Amino acid sequence: MRTFILSRILAISLAALPFSHAGEMEKVARENAAAAILAPETEQAALVEALAKAPDPVLALIFDAWQREEIFIYTAPNGPRIPFQLAPQSEGSSEFKAIRIDNGEPLVAPDGAPFVFDKSIYKPVETFSKLRRAMRATTDLLALADPAPAVRQSAILKLGMKQSAEALPILDLRLEVEKDPAVRKSLLDAVALINLTSPDPKAQVAALAQLKKSLSIPSKELVAKMAENKTLPPEVSAAAASTLKAIENHLFWVDFFGTIFRGISLGSVLLIVALGLAITFGLMGVINMAHGEIMVVGGYATYLVQCIFGAGVALAPFGLAINIPGFNFDPNSALYQSYFIFALPVAFLSAALVGILLERGVIQFLYRRPLESLLATWGVSLVLQQLFRLIFGPANAPVYSPAWLLGSFSVGDVIMNYNRIFVIFFAIVIVVGTALLLSKTPIGLLIRAVMQDRVTASCMGVRTKKVNTLTFAFGSGLAGLAGAFLSQIGNIGPSTGQTYIVDSFMVVVVGGVGNLVGTVISALGIGTLDQILQTGLRNPVIGKVLVLIGIILFLQWKPSGLFATKSRGLES
Amino acid sequence: MKLPKSFCALALGASTMLGVTAPLQAADDTVKVGVLHSLSGTMAISETSLRDVLMFAFDEINAKGGVLGKKIEPVVVDGASNWPLFAEKAKQLLEVDKVAVVFGCWTSVSRKSVLPVFEKNNGMLFYPVQYEGEEMSPNIFYTAEAVNQQAIPAVDYLLADGRKKFYLIGTDYVYPQTTNLVLLEYLLSKGVPLENIGGGLRKDEAGKVISAGKYTPFGHTDYQQIVAEIKQFAATGDACVINTINGDSNVPFFKEFAASGLSAADCPVASLSLSEDELRSLPTKDLVGQLGCWAYFMSIDSPANAKFKSDFFTWLKTSTVPGIEKENRVTCSPMVLSYDGVYLWKAAVEKAGSFDVDKVRAVLESGAITFEGPNGLNTMEKNHHTKKNVYIGETKADGQFKIVEEFKQVYPEPFLKGTFVKQ
Amino acid sequence: MKPEVTQREVVIGAIAAAILILVIPALNAFVPEGSVFHVSNFNINLWGQYLCLAIVAVSIDLLWGYTGLLSLGQMLFFSLGGYALGMHLMLMIGKLGQYKSDLPDFMVFLGYPRLPAHWEPFYSFTFSMLAVLWIPGLVALIFGYLAFRSRIRGVYFSILTQALTYAACLLFFRNELTLGGNNGFTDFKTLLKFDLAQPSTQRGLYIASAVALVLVYLLCRWLTLTKFGKVQRAIRDSENRVLFSGYAAANFKLFVFVVSGMIAGLAGALYVPQVGIINPSQMEPAKSLEAIVWVAVGGRATLLGPIIGAVGVNALKSWASQAFPAYWPIFLGGMFVLVVLFMPKGIVGLPAQLRSWWERRQRAKQAEDPPAPTAPGKEARS
Repeated sequence: MRTFILSRILAISLAALPFSHAGEMEKVARENAAAAILAPETEQAALVEALAKAPDPVLALIFDAWQREEIFIYTAPNGPRIPFQLAPQSEGSSEFKAIRIDNGEPLVAPDGAPFVFDKSIYKPVETFSKLRRAMRATTDLLALADPAPAVRQSAILKLGMKQSAEALPILDLRLEVEKDPAVRKSLLDAVALINLTSPDPKAQVAALAQLKKSLSIPSKELVAKMAENKTLPPEVSAAAASTLKAIENHLFWVDFFGTIFRGISLGSVLLIVALGLAITFGLMGVINMAHGEIMVVGGYATYLVQCIFGAGVALAPFGLAINIPGFNFDPNSALYQSYFIFALPVAFLSAALVGILLERGVIQFLYRRPLESLLATWGVSLVLQQLFRLIFGPANAPVYSPAWLLGSFSVGDVIMNYNRIFVIFFAIVIVVGTALLLSKTPIGLLIRAVMQDRVTASCMGVRTKKVNTLTFAFGSGLAGLAGAFLSQIGNIGPSTGQTYIVDSFMVVVVGGVGNLVGTVISALGIGTLDQILQTGLRNPVIGKVLVLIGIILFLQWKPSGLFATKSRGLES
Repeated sequence: MKLPKSFCALALGASTMLGVTAPLQAADDTVKVGVLHSLSGTMAISETSLRDVLMFAFDEINAKGGVLGKKIEPVVVDGASNWPLFAEKAKQLLEVDKVAVVFGCWTSVSRKSVLPVFEKNNGMLFYPVQYEGEEMSPNIFYTAEAVNQQAIPAVDYLLADGRKKFYLIGTDYVYPQTTNLVLLEYLLSKGVPLENIGGGLRKDEAGKVISAGKYTPFGHTDYQQIVAEIKQFAATGDACVINTINGDSNVPFFKEFAASGLSAADCPVASLSLSEDELRSLPTKDLVGQLGCWAYFMSIDSPANAKFKSDFFTWLKTSTVPGIEKENRVTCSPMVLSYDGVYLWKAAVEKAGSFDVDKVRAVLESGAITFEGPNGLNTMEKNHHTKKNVYIGETKADGQFKIVEEFKQVYPEPFLKGTFVKQ
Repeated sequence: MKPEVTQREVVIGAIAAAILILVIPALNAFVPEGSVFHVSNFNINLWGQYLCLAIVAVSIDLLWGYTGLLSLGQMLFFSLGGYALGMHLMLMIGKLGQYKSDLPDFMVFLGYPRLPAHWEPFYSFTFSMLAVLWIPGLVALIFGYLAFRSRIRGVYFSILTQALTYAACLLFFRNELTLGGNNGFTDFKTLLKFDLAQPSTQRGLYIASAVALVLVYLLCRWLTLTKFGKVQRAIRDSENRVLFSGYAAANFKLFVFVVSGMIAGLAGALYVPQVGIINPSQMEPAKSLEAIVWVAVGGRATLLGPIIGAVGVNALKSWASQAFPAYWPIFLGGMFVLVVLFMPKGIVGLPAQLRSWWERRQRAKQAEDPPAPTAPGKEARS
């Protein structure tokens, strides 16, 4: 990926420089770089630093090769030491050729024969931290012209934060060619940052106005220092104070919306996790303490699908060795990246299967005994956890996010991660799907009938046993989907289920057992409250404790939850 | 007459109790050695590798004739990431199995839990995992990295790199809390102002700042808010994060970190508890360029390291240790420091001519015991810690570290609090 | 449990109490080490711990077996009692600790300059022992009042107790609470001027635990004999009818909840000096659920069942987690499922269960071959 970008820099920068000097500048840069490589270590950093004065894109390629240990020194029999770079013959090839640093030509032995690279003789030229920092001076300047806007923006910001007037001409030069509006804004901000230290008060005031206009968060601390500085002329400190106020106000709203977004995303995770539980608990009166482990089944299913799409996986349960082969798709291909879409139905089905086994094996005997079902399923959860440990090992299963879920997009400084947006979207899909299933389909009708009055439904000819199994399977399948999502944002390991079980019970109990709308509202409410407390108290745990205590108090007011299912029986 | 059922039940209970607690007998030509690690629970990921390398070391030594002619007989117990259980198992090793030495513990809290047991029974523990210092028990020998062999060099590297703001985040227990205490003093002494130290400040009743940093419990998974804070903290472009999160909470932290768009160039994270072993379960493609600082990296290019690695991986193929993972293994600093500990103990026993704890301790304190391990030369010093090399590395996409800096033979200083002079 | 005390019960109870309180410590103190009858110091210590856990199990049974309240957070009260005595023990270490300071070690390495105010009263042993009772009691009172007042029952109550212990666990793990955080309290040196390292002190603690167990057993047994016990069982069987009969069921439940909380606190206080450490992991929901396993396996609604269950399961665990570390949790979970499904009365109820199963079989067999017809007037009396 990096060579790709750097070669693009080379191409585009060369295109951006319409002079014939391009070739000359490159030649000079190459020669200087070669001289730096050959120099003794004590002088290398200084020489490299000097290269920043004439930054040529080829230097970025040379420095990158140097840091990746692809530069070696060839000592010709007749004396001169020639540094060379080992580059692949062509893109992705495993054959290497040696390119001289000083002129970019292939390296040949003095007698004209092609050069053979012997790994055992040549050791790469070393880099050390001081040298790398010196290199960065050059690469930072070159990054100003990088094709990726984000890279340009961060390089520009860095330059601006240095507050050195020497950078002004460079930035002005860049302003003339820059087309991207976001990058233009950061250029103007960087100029303003530098002008904050200008001796001319008018320039300072103008700079502060610019920062106020763009509500630049990075500048906050510098502006705050200026606002407190009594030695500045009054109009400057007044401008600084008002800029500071505007930025702090902006930060407050960024925090606020950020917290709401995080609350909704946490609530969505809780919702997906708790929905399956709400269905089994609400519709069947069964407390399933193994719900967390069924979730983890879905997570492990996702992991297996990922492995099958890739290099396969070797498991060793109970001493047997099971080798699951993989399709070995290229990790960068679209097919591999889509593994997550395939993993979702697999997670659903595998978790549903485990749910059916659990229901047939244990729970069907415990329908009228909720306390016993709680205890028995807890025993099952112990067994499942240990099985996971024995089959998959005690370590967590590394699930990588597909590329299309990485990254984020921001609305005015509020950052929203793609994977969280995906979770929110899918939570909506799942809730709507479940609601439709329950209200519009025949099987949904049967489920609701059995939930409202099991005995009467049975008298009407409903096969309650079958409906029970199906409902439990559906609830478990939803848990499996939750596990698939959790693999994207957290760990999947043998004891992952335990971290979510208490929270999911809280959501179900607060929402009112058996009520989907209640579950949705309580999940979102609990998630948002948790995030607000975390932001407000700046403490990750006290917020959670307060939420739990809040729930206990809430249940005083509404013992059956937000939306209690009204029933005619006295023993509800 | 039928025996009343209560009597039967009591008899059953009593006999079970008697049977359960019968001790094991030792043979005459072997010496029993204890291995005390978590083989299950949240720390199992890290600690099972230490058990593996210890068994490897014992097999290696036994193949060459054992220690003082006696073969090592390991007694392996599982602390199950449960600190009170660690204390119980330590008691069992010392009082029932009567082992000559114990190699074990990872988290500082497990070490602090077993320390009273070792002191009460005059046992000997070799502790290999980087820790917070401020301790020197007569019954513990620390092959681990002291704070000045890990956290301080990492901070120095970052300061020299031009980093001006430091966000401290860790797991809420003694190691990160105490390390950050020391780091706070160190950073202030280097001229970093208090507002450039992020994560939150802890003040005492008088309002004086005692410590800094954000602390999350073991197993915490929700890092959204914290990463958002870090992103704001790092908006100025010259910040870095000192990460003492332990265990698998690192996974959601780094996933959130990567998803928020922060890169190692913008805000490098120096993780003090992440080695090659933990990196196996992290999304390393998102972690390229982050920093680690240890006394050993698997990528050290030396004949001793190459031999160690090849011997260990060969041994793994034929090992019969139950539940051992044979594929995809790596070596890391705690593993190598455990290995060094075994050989240091062997050398001391051979020099003292006895397994007696007091005699071996005297020899170890003399400063004459050294071992040339895969990480270089280790020397046991009078203060129970070892002098060794220190390396700083950057993570690569394949989960290995590229060594970027090396400090040779750093003398260990466990007691650093209050010693920094403001510059 | 039978409603009256039989003579057989008194005799067996006295023998058992004598064995526990007198014989076993004597075997430890007076029988020489090599002999097969010697009870080692390690074992006295271990069995003392088991007895404390048995006390907790009895408190759970009081709530669950007799009142029908399944509390999934009883270990919270156990831990609170343990912490209360633990604070006293930490202060008693004084300058003998690692850092030779009057402050507990964890405060030194966390940088606290002086002892926080809420620690001061724990210098007194009397205050600490009272705190062992009133701190868990107070928590039980507040929570119970809120819960029972709003008629929270059955499963909801259990889930809420689980949330309570989980919240407390999270809270206690925070170092800023100045209660040791994850390190907990450890490295105790003396109690009431007795050196905790001495075998005689450990023996004394064992005897104290045994005496406490016997006293708790007697208390609960007496409780079941009173009218209060009858109301308790009535609440378990049908709370609504109790309410209709005019009893304020909430008050009865609250009383039992507080009493069992205090019993658990006492057990915790006796446990901590024997195990030598306490840390918030005791408050984790899983620990409370394990305690429920002891009671279920032993047999609930009996007072002997929890004791057998606690000692038996823990002894089994000590052995199995050493012998079969990989399979022990599967065995524990599986055993629990089987007990819940097939042995609802636990081990204590097993003989009765087997007997009734045998009788049913006999009756089924008799039904297959009908008895020979007898002349009228000579029918066999069944």
